[in-house]
Amino acid sequence: MTKRPKLILPAVLAGLVLLAIAVVYFVEPAGSLPSFFPGHEAGSSHHHAKHGIAALVVALGCFVFAWFQSGPSETDPA
Amino acid sequence: MHPISYFQALVLGLLQGFAEPFPISSLGHGVIAPSLFGWNIHQNDDFFLAFLVATHCATAIVLFFLFLDDWKRIFRGLGRSLRDRQIGAGDNDARLGWLLVVGTIPAGVVGLLLEHPLRSLFASASTAAAFLILNGILLLIFERFRRRPPQPDDYEGDSDSRIAKLTWKEAIGVGTAQAAALIPGISRSGITMGGGLLFGLSNEDAARYAFLLATPIIGAAGVLKLPELMGHAGDGVRGPALVGALAAALTTYIAVKFLLRFFETNRLTPFGIYCIVAGVIYSLILAV
Repeated sequence: MTKRPKLILPAVLAGLVLLAIAVVYFVEPAGSLPSFFPGHEAGSSHHHAKHGIAALVVALGCFVFAWFQSGPSETDPA
Repeated sequence: MHPISYFQALVLGLLQGFAEPFPISSLGHGVIAPSLFGWNIHQNDDFFLAFLVATHCATAIVLFFLFLDDWKRIFRGLGRSLRDRQIGAGDNDARLGWLLVVGTIPAGVVGLLLEHPLRSLFASASTAAAFLILNGILLLIFERFRRRPPQPDDYEGDSDSRIAKLTWKEAIGVGTAQAAALIPGISRSGITMGGGLLFGLSNEDAARYAFLLATPIIGAAGVLKLPELMGHAGDGVRGPALVGALAAALTTYIAVKFLLRFFETNRLTPFGIYCIVAGVIYSLILAV
């Protein structure tokens, strides 16, 4: 994997944003989600936990990506 | 009165466990079989979903234990790479582990977001039969356009090191394509094996990769829905679900053992032909 240190900050920021989105999905019912969020449904009391899990998984992916980019220079020939 | 009888649970469990590793779509067969037998069981029934949770968990557990040694090495590799913040040169276990991770994330996210709408949209047995035909055609296309033909030395040496040669883009591509298996009739293992062939793996290596890739997805899907089995939807289903899960565990074990031997010398072609023929026959029967 080619190291791209410039991507560390954007990856961390993206991870934090996605983490916040995940929290919103877990905490707010579908009726209270911002209207631009997928799953927004006026008046619904359903919690879109799966959307939250999806956001959380991608957030973790961003953090792991940033972690690897911050590592020592490449030794893997693949 | 159980919404699924013990006999139905046994049949559906055997079918699920058998069809999940085979590239013939377990979900498609799970939708078609009740219609063919005239059972009043539908894919979107809450109790049937609760039943499927149990069979999927059983399948994932069997897959995990069948490849336990691989998973131990993969987890150790993942730990090493996280500690070192890099994948060491020649660390195939770490690389395979991350290939599985990057292949699982897109399929998992798409599955989480689209599972319900797709399940609702393609719930009928006749639609599943039509997609079974498409699945068969795809399997034949995968074999036709595979990167390289089978070679005598395909099965010598370490399979994991060959799989670990997949690129990140290829792993993401195969992983994302798995999401097509949310449509009843399209096989997750078929798509994954086919992707492996297109990217230069042998049939056996592609099958191993498919089974490794399937384990976290099937397991996570089962665990996420466990509350449904434990909750109201599981009332009256837990007994049959346990029978179905045990049956699925048995046939998953047999099917995986068989397929790993089968793909040492054989191709996806027979399964492609089966899917097309079975899809046509099911379509005709369901149309009558």
